[in-house]
Amino acid sequence: MKGTTLLMASAGLLACLAPAMVRAHSEPNSDPNDGAATEEGHGEGASVTPAAGKGDGPHTHAPGQLDDLIISEGAWLIAPGADWFATRAAAGEARFSESETAAEVTEDGQGVDEFESGWIDSEGEYVFRYDEEEDEFAYWQWVDADTLTSGRLLFVQYCASCHGFDGAGYGRSAQHLRPPPRSFQQSTFKFTKVISDYLPSDQALAELVKAGLDGTPMLPWALSDMQLADIIQYFKSLSPEGTGWRDVYSEISDTVEIGADPYASDPAAGVAKGRDVYHRIGCYSCHPGYVSPAAINTIAGKDAGTSYRDDLTYPKATRSSAFDVQGHYVQILPPDFTFHSMRSGRTARDVALTVAAGIGGAGMPQWKQSEPGGAGIPDDEIWAIGHYVRSLVDEYHNQPAKRAAFMAGLRNGD
Amino acid sequence: MIRLPHLFPAIARRAAPAWALMALAGSVTAQAAEEPARRMGLNPPASSYGQMFDDLFMMITALISGAFVIVLFMLLVPVIRDRDRKWGDGTGKPSHKASFDHGRSLHDKRFTAVVSIIVFFVLDASVLYVTMKDLREGFWNIPAPDTPDVVKVEVLAQQWAWNFRLPGTDGEFGTADDILTLNDMVVSVNRPVQLNMTAKDVIHSLFLPDMRLKRDVNPGAINEAWFEPITVGTYDILCAELCGFAHYQMHAKVRVLSEADFDAWVQEASILALAAHDESDTEAQWAWDWKE
Repeated sequence: MKGTTLLMASAGLLACLAPAMVRAHSEPNSDPNDGAATEEGHGEGASVTPAAGKGDGPHTHAPGQLDDLIISEGAWLIAPGADWFATRAAAGEARFSESETAAEVTEDGQGVDEFESGWIDSEGEYVFRYDEEEDEFAYWQWVDADTLTSGRLLFVQYCASCHGFDGAGYGRSAQHLRPPPRSFQQSTFKFTKVISDYLPSDQALAELVKAGLDGTPMLPWALSDMQLADIIQYFKSLSPEGTGWRDVYSEISDTVEIGADPYASDPAAGVAKGRDVYHRIGCYSCHPGYVSPAAINTIAGKDAGTSYRDDLTYPKATRSSAFDVQGHYVQILPPDFTFHSMRSGRTARDVALTVAAGIGGAGMPQWKQSEPGGAGIPDDEIWAIGHYVRSLVDEYHNQPAKRAAFMAGLRNGD
Repeated sequence: MIRLPHLFPAIARRAAPAWALMALAGSVTAQAAEEPARRMGLNPPASSYGQMFDDLFMMITALISGAFVIVLFMLLVPVIRDRDRKWGDGTGKPSHKASFDHGRSLHDKRFTAVVSIIVFFVLDASVLYVTMKDLREGFWNIPAPDTPDVVKVEVLAQQWAWNFRLPGTDGEFGTADDILTLNDMVVSVNRPVQLNMTAKDVIHSLFLPDMRLKRDVNPGAINEAWFEPITVGTYDILCAELCGFAHYQMHAKVRVLSEADFDAWVQEASILALAAHDESDTEAQWAWDWKE
């Protein structure tokens, strides 16, 4: 009996001692009355909510909410055009076939049926449909309520903390976040690598979601293909009526085509060529220049006296962003490749694709030529820029001493 | 009837290949564990107080192991010494009934009391004392407000990323040259790093295994922590509190630069931060008043 009592007594002693000793040894300048609360951080003088009270600051807007998780109605979403079907049919997918009577137009009052030729999907997923309001034909995809509900459930679990329960790009974790998360009510995307006149195809969206965006909380999501497909259909359906995937005039495109890497066997040649192209076409007007002004003049064949902006070795922020957060259009700083991380540029190919397609809604234009000889630069020069930018990253990124020496050389006019 | 004492050598002999295999597996595992990429357990400590906490861990492990061996010994001795030596001598039944008592005798009570007191002082009190001493010298030894060369970092955790804010060259938070990084904490070697941490959404926990630092990050509270890196390198930052579906993906890096590199980095990052700063974007300015 005595033993048990003793054991209990020593246990009790421990229980009393431990918190007292923790308190005694917490940092000496804390309020002694605050005790354990100091550990929880209810400190004096510190504002507990980040930046609380700074005008039109955070937490003044409530994150979007959802009324119901279950979606009872399916949705018609715009599908890729005839080219997409032709490509798939040519690739041997027997479910797609061309028909003279793919779509039917009934002219009111006259009882005359007209038919329009188009593609038919034997599985019935895509429908060539006539929009009476707009008097336009387009391919549409019927996404049923179950798919949308499944997509919404997954969206709430994986996406909603940043993109918001309503998909408007303003969830609880999106507060203070720059760049802001995408709003799915805007139908503009930055890094799908699809030319920005077009909406990205499901494939392009899936690749983006799987790869993630470096330097942002957009992670490389480990989702199954089915989960991913449901999520994509769901956020496509968030387009408001008459816009994005609910607009009969929207066109869908796959990732931009830039062919095979012409410098695969000799990347050094690509880097050298890319350096010239980068400084010839004026990338330095937003991104930093990585050669001296005199060298730019030589490369671009300009007069020797041509001068450039004073801060040529720094990127220049522009407010050409289409992305707003609660009505405020955010400013975007183009990356300095030797310092910042690129969102979507892990390989020369990634960089080249981004250069080719441009960055939707931001200042970065499309560099891919729409037709040979048109505005932009040919594919091999795009590839060269990809190699050059990657070489800058590989050589100087995360190498502060080496980078400092390189940039100091440029700034001192060596 | 097989006599039990004769059974053990037989089992031992038959199991010889198994013993050999186990020994081989053990040595292979031990060798694999020596390779840095596969090493089990933590990397060598990279912070000033890291070794101290490793020593504390070893001390607790050694004391507990010692206690375990003693208890095991005290259990095994009577099992072997008082075993039924006549069991199975032709009858197939135990030779006598096992006897036990409830420890009511004065001798037993004295014995229990003495053991309790020894265990308390050797194990509990000493571990408690050293733990408190280490916590005071390490975890709670947050740099005093006027300590020179302290790297101050505001940490804003969210689902599922770490936002870091350094005060820039002016040393003041909430100004245009504040350096903002995501999932990339940059600090200097041999300078104390003081952290002010909060979260946007749910409870997270900042875990720097190489620095031997872990502290919860709570929304609506500013929690403090500190460490002083002693080795240049890149180390993991993990979230140690289940914070949602992608909790396991919520990792970042802490880059420990040499002092010269760090100063150059801060200079450059501040200039770039000024270029990126947008005064009208009030929501992007989330700095809070530094809590010493």
